[in-house]
Parts: sequence; C-alpha cells; structure tokens
Amino acid sequence: MIISRLKEFDQILQLLSEKKIFLIGCGKCAKKQHTGGEPEVLELKYKLTAAGKNITGWTVLNSACSINSWDDVLEQNPAIKMSDALLIMSCGGGVSVISRYAGINVYPALDTESLGGVCCNEIVTQLCGMCGDCTIWQYGGICPVTQCSKSLLNGPCGGAVDGKCEVDERLCGWDKIFDRLKELGKLSHLEMIHEPKDHAKKSRGKKI
Amino acid sequence: MSFVSTLLSGKFIITAEISPPKGTDISRMIRDVELLKGIADAVNVTDNQRGVMRMSPLAACGIIQGKGIETIMHITCRDRNRIALQSDIIGAAALGIRNVLVMSGDHPVKGDHEGAKPVYDIDSIQLLGILKKLTLGFDLADNELSGRPDLCVGAVTNTELNEVGLIKLKKKILMGASFFQTQAVFDAKSFSGFMEKVNGIRSEKVKIIAGIIPLKSQKSADFLSKLAGIKVPEDIVQKMKRSKDPETCGMEIAANIIKEIRPMCDGVHIMPVGKHENTKMILEMAEIL
Repeated sequence: MIISRLKEFDQILQLLSEKKIFLIGCGKCAKKQHTGGEPEVLELKYKLTAAGKNITGWTVLNSACSINSWDDVLEQNPAIKMSDALLIMSCGGGVSVISRYAGINVYPALDTESLGGVCCNEIVTQLCGMCGDCTIWQYGGICPVTQCSKSLLNGPCGGAVDGKCEVDERLCGWDKIFDRLKELGKLSHLEMIHEPKDHAKKSRGKKI
Repeated sequence: MSFVSTLLSGKFIITAEISPPKGTDISRMIRDVELLKGIADAVNVTDNQRGVMRMSPLAACGIIQGKGIETIMHITCRDRNRIALQSDIIGAAALGIRNVLVMSGDHPVKGDHEGAKPVYDIDSIQLLGILKKLTLGFDLADNELSGRPDLCVGAVTNTELNEVGLIKLKKKILMGASFFQTQAVFDAKSFSGFMEKVNGIRSEKVKIIAGIIPLKSQKSADFLSKLAGIKVPEDIVQKMKRSKDPETCGMEIAANIIKEIRPMCDGVHIMPVGKHENTKMILEMAEIL
C-alpha cells in the first residue's frame, strides 16, 4: 500500500489557479487510509466550494493508478470535459497515470510518503525502499533501507538515544532487526558484511 | 614521529579535535592548532559535525598540515556518494593527509540544513572496505589506480554498546579499522566494562583512544547527557552544580577520568566544547605531559 497524506488546504488552494475543478479520489490505498475515499473527496469539495472554486463534479476511481480506459472515465464523468483542471486524491502513481491521458492540468491533493501496508487494521509505513535489490530476509523481514533512517546495511549508527532514532521518535530500526533475528534464531545474519547496494538495479523509468 | 608510527610505538596517544570554521576566517582554527603543537600526536578535523555546514575538512586538513601538525580527517557517509568519497580520499592522500576517521555522520535533520538530501549511499563498514581497496590500488569498481593512497584508517564507537552495536564494532575491526576514537567517557567503571568487551574481539594492533570532553558548566553536563552514547554520572553533574568555578572543576573531572582510564586504553582524544586553551593544562593535571 502506498502511504499518503493530505496536503494543507491552503497549499491546495494555492495550486489551483483554474476555476472549474473536477475531483478524483482513489478506491484503493488512499481510501483505506482515509486520505482519498468518498468522505475525504466530499469534504474537500465542500471546502473548495466555500473558498469560491467551482467544483464541476467528483468521482472515486476503483484505482487511480490502474485505469483501463480514460475514455470510459470520461464517459462516466462527462463533467471532466467541462473542467479546467483535475485535483487528484491519490498517490503520485495515480496522479501520473491520470496526467498522461487527461490533456488538462492535473494537481495532487496528497503527498506520497512511502510504501507501507496494513496489518490487523494497523497502517504500517515505510516498509520497503523499492531499491530493486531485495535482501530483506537477511534482516529478519525488516527493511533496513526504510526502517533505518540512514539506510545503513551493516548495523546501527550509534545515534539512537534510549532506543529512539536520532531523526524522529521511531524506535531504532536496527534494534528491531536484532530482536526479530533473535526470535528467528538467525543472529548470525548480523555478522554478514553487506556490500554497497547496486543502485543500477533500480529501474530508472525503463519500460518492463 | 608520524601518527602511524606513534600508534605502533606503544606511546600513550594524544589526539585533539578541531572544528573547521563556518566561513573562510581560519584565524580561530589556527589559534587552536598553535595551542596543540607539541601536545597532540594528531589533530582530528570534523566533517560538518552534527550536520552543521562548515568548511570542508579536506581543505581544513590541508591548511592545518601546512602548519606542521598531522591531521586525522573525519569522513562521513552523509553528504557524498561512493564516487565523491573515493575522490576526496585520493585528493586528501595526494595532499599528504593519510589518516582518516570513518563514520556514518549525524543526519541532516540534526543540523542547520534540515531539508538536505541525506546521501548514505554506503555505510561506514562499506567505506572501510572501499578504503582498504584503494590502498591496494583499486577503486570500488575494480579499476586500477595510478598511484595508491597510503592510508591509516580509524573508526568511531560509543562505549555504551548493546549487542548489535558490539557486532558492528567487530565488523569495523574486520574491515580494517586500525584505531577507534570513542564517544566521550565520564565513567571509568563503565568504560572498563566496554574495554573488557573490546579486548575480547581486538588484537593489540587495534588501538582504542578514549574521548574526553572537559565540562564547562552544569548546563554542558545536562546537554551532553542527552546525546547518544554519552552518560554523565549523577555525582559528576552534582559536582558541577555545586562548584563555584565550574570550568576548573570540569578540568579536574577530565584529568581524573584520564588518570583512571589510562591503564585500560591506548590514548585519549580531547574534544573541548569551544577552544583548546585548557587542553595542555588538563593533560598536565592528568600527569600525561
């Protein structure tokens, strides 16, 4: 799941120089996180209307990043054709896909933070760094690229105070890795020397 | 005697830390250098410590070595990718700067350019591996170098280490760190526990140089207690609080710690908050000079 958060309303308002705006939410990740499902779309519509914007219509797509046919979207939402701009309540993937086909200005209402997940109704953030070279098993299933604030592959930096990361209030990712490997009886993994990541393995916009 | 020879000689090592200026005015840095001449075996030069932008340690080391004192150049993984790190190390070596101290580096959010992109392309263990390769005449991508740097490589450690921290220390030794400079020590008993752990995993060739921060006030004691890897015992905090002359009291505390830990380690590294005007006196009080 892609983790996103709603931009500040004033920031959204500043983005929109156009008058007639059509709102699009996303029925997948953003809906689950309550950042781009129907209630959030309607709330933003209400606020924008109160701020003087003409909201021509709204919809929540099944998945903003996975659209079978833009023509179908237009057919089901004729108000899009009467709009000057689209405001998208989805992750950057959704905004990018829609921008490819819309032919008018498309703005993001959300900021995309990380790749996370949902487990037992708990939203978990920063689970994968999308490095293109997954070695997560060596760390007991805890990704050091994202769970360590410095993406260190060979152990902690020593900057944690009382188990808390020097960057924010998160627990030190390396303490988590240690605890998990201990549980799994794989502490020997910590002795491995991990070579620098091959960043060439990360796709740079190549078509697959 | 060069710093490498001093390390191998068995002499009790004295190093001292200098911060490059924030700007081009090097006068204060040079004053500190003059104060340390004939006292320190080498001067550590920090790399934008705590993420606060300052003069490049490479330039500062070049200037300081020109004044006739050997430097230990700090090199963090925070601001440069593998290309820039190797490039700077080779450049430093060509300028005669051969002692380097490797560390991850404080995150940019700790400093004065909070929005800077943290690089951390490689970590300190990997950097140690890269340095080893450079000394063998190859870069990380296995290309041959024309002229190889002759480096003396150190690393850093906290003395309050959990299990995973100790494993990382072990890896640093394995990857070729020949000396360690520690976070500030205030408690000899706790330091002795650390040395016991380290002695179990190091050879005698790997030197441990204990960090010493002379306290200047109760405020500085409180501040340091909040930093990673530093524990200022309550009796020291109280001593500073009660003292009518906290600066002298801090010097006495530092000298006493040095005396207590001297038999356990290979040297001390003086990191004053501010200038080095008291460093000589502290070492005299500790009966080292």
